[in-house]
Amino acid sequence: MEQNKEMTAQESLAIIAETVNNSRKSIFQRSGKYLLVWGIALTIVSLLVFIVWKTTGKQAWNYLWFAMPVLGLIPSYILKSKETTRLPDNTVSRMLAGIWRTFGVLDVSISIFAILYAHLGTSVFTSLAVAISLSPMILLLFGMAETISGVAVKNTTIKVAGLITGVGGIILYFILSTLSEDGLETTLRFTMAGLVLAFSGIILQVHNKQ
Amino acid sequence: MFPKLDPLLHSELRLAVMSILADVTSADFTFLKKQTGATSGNLSVQIDKLAAAGYITVEKGFKGKMPCTTCTITPEGMEAFQGYVNALKDYLPL
Repeated sequence: MEQNKEMTAQESLAIIAETVNNSRKSIFQRSGKYLLVWGIALTIVSLLVFIVWKTTGKQAWNYLWFAMPVLGLIPSYILKSKETTRLPDNTVSRMLAGIWRTFGVLDVSISIFAILYAHLGTSVFTSLAVAISLSPMILLLFGMAETISGVAVKNTTIKVAGLITGVGGIILYFILSTLSEDGLETTLRFTMAGLVLAFSGIILQVHNKQ
Repeated sequence: MFPKLDPLLHSELRLAVMSILADVTSADFTFLKKQTGATSGNLSVQIDKLAAAGYITVEKGFKGKMPCTTCTITPEGMEAFQGYVNALKDYLPL
């Protein structure tokens, strides 16, 4: 980039647009990498829970869900440490991080609630647990987080993917619920959600390739 | 009568730096260098000029053992940048 070049108004605007666009592409590419990592982690854990639960018949394998933060955080940390250039945050990347952190906190809280309910049985949690079904709630939250992410990055594919995960996930939940009484098959709904998240990460990276 | 364009911003590299900084919370030197394609020396000189005008703040520190220079746009810088963009509109048949 030259320093003393005479610029026209059009050239000035073109520089502003091009620079901001390229800077945003770099930042969105990084966000896409993290969505891909978490999508893969969700897919792996959900499949693992499904397989070992089905093989052993023990519901206790659901505790494997708590391995997900580890499976997501370690690769995220490695990715961050390998960045040659420290990428800044902008409003959209901060919003994306906020959306998925909120989803993570709500998801873990609901999961802890489900465990407490399972262990405490007919206690104070019973009336609440009867009133709400936890899995569809998590899927709705997931779909909402995904759709809002699509709105934030102005990507229709991600917006639609969020709606499909939210609505389709609930439909899949009820269909899979009829296949078994213990809810084993319904674990696969999270595999679908994981694949959608990974897909969104790939879309974000491809759309912002420089 | 067309408004006068801020001479400090009416330069290719300084305008690019300000455009990036107006969109992010802060950016380090290597990111700015990569995005603008400028040489270290040239970028450093232009950053100093923007800092001297109060348009940006420059913080020198370390990331691990590596030196790290972080630039952040100031409210004055943001105002100047917005004023520059608004002034540009008068030059164009928008």
